Amino acid sequence: MNIKDYISSGIVQEYVLGLTNAAECREFEELLVQHSELRAACRKFEEELERNARNNAVVPPRQVKDGFLEAIQNPSISQSKVNNMQQENAPVQRGGSQRFMAAATVVLLVACGWFAYRSYNQSAELKESQATSKDLQIRLDSAENTLNKIIDEQKLIKDPNVTVVNMVGSQAAPKSSANVFWDTASASVFLMVKNMPRLPSEQQYQLWALIDGQPQSLGVFDSLQNNVVLKMSNTKKADAFAITIEKKGGNPSPTLEKMQSSGRTKAPL
Amino acid sequence: MNTIPTYSEQELVSLLRNRDNKAFGYLYDHYSGALFGIILQILNDSELASDVLQDVFVNIWRKIDSYDSTKGRLFTWMLNIARNASIDTIRSKNYQNEKKNQTMDCQGDGAQVALITQVNVDNIGFRKLLNLLREDQRSLIELAYFKGYTHEEIADMENIPLGTVKTRIRSALIQLRGLLK
Repeated sequence: MNIKDYISSGIVQEYVLGLTNAAECREFEELLVQHSELRAACRKFEEELERNARNNAVVPPRQVKDGFLEAIQNPSISQSKVNNMQQENAPVQRGGSQRFMAAATVVLLVACGWFAYRSYNQSAELKESQATSKDLQIRLDSAENTLNKIIDEQKLIKDPNVTVVNMVGSQAAPKSSANVFWDTASASVFLMVKNMPRLPSEQQYQLWALIDGQPQSLGVFDSLQNNVVLKMSNTKKADAFAITIEKKGGNPSPTLEKMQSSGRTKAPL
Repeated sequence: MNTIPTYSEQELVSLLRNRDNKAFGYLYDHYSGALFGIILQILNDSELASDVLQDVFVNIWRKIDSYDSTKGRLFTWMLNIARNASIDTIRSKNYQNEKKNQTMDCQGDGAQVALITQVNVDNIGFRKLLNLLREDQRSLIELAYFKGYTHEEIADMENIPLGTVKTRIRSALIQLRGLLK
């Protein structure tokens, strides 16, 4: 093959723009290693393309950067997606992480059992001081509750049928955000809110699904339930979700100027 | 956009691999506009393009370990992630439904978004160059680059031989290359 003809055939542009098929890619990448002329031609076109893209840049809305920085600072929510990615690129690591999860679960279970056993023994021994054993029981219950919540959250995030809708704050409440976990198979809707301002006792937040332009209430919740997964009413369809402030118990239709945050539904990554 | 970068590409990549949040902030500041321009050229919907741009950066953060500098520049790699994400969006079911449902809109961030909708995507970047090509070449690049169809799919759709699709696309790209300079 004459490398000069190859370079001038347009293959460089096709490769850089991502238009080559798998076989052409493989061939191009092999030749790239062997021929410095091809590397130079490739680099030159890439630089021209980058210059053109920069000259035609459009400044995106500010909330995109905020959303991005928040997502990478709280990677826990995207944990399952990180695992998916490792699955594609490094199957060995995936096995490792699953083994780690399994081991961690066993350790957690043993620890739970031990705490339960200890608490049981202690409460038997301390029959005379009922106050202490009652306190232990409450702590065990609350630990169990937290654990169950974490397990439920994990299940939700890992479920392939669940669409995660990221809701961003509106101008009325720029810092508030919420994630709607929408299980399109069962129509269940779960909500996790962050930084919702505290409300006076006669008011509550209300979640809405927008269906063909019409709002439908999915239930009310309080500002104190930060970072907890809330089960809301089911919906089979939704083009977007929105949160408003309404009177305690909710309203039949939303007060739009009190919109706290909103997010469109879209396919998960 | 003419600020002198404070990192070399190599330095930047190694900071990104260490999940250095500051380096990701820098990456965003330097490349978000260029990538947003490309995404807009494919989607032609600024609200949707904003969602895709955020996903693209999160994906860059997740996949930075798979970037291979021997195969191309960092920008080229990011550009391809942005293009693929935009094309996936066009093909998603939700997008198809939304097209039918244009009246439905969120009142949430109207003011900010409305500002960008003014950009006429036919007049920026690659699309502007496309207007300088012959009609038959332009429509093939439109299908291949902006709609993401394979050469085989295009040959079927346009009812022309696969070989002709390939040669027309390549000659269009060679011309585009001249126009880019």
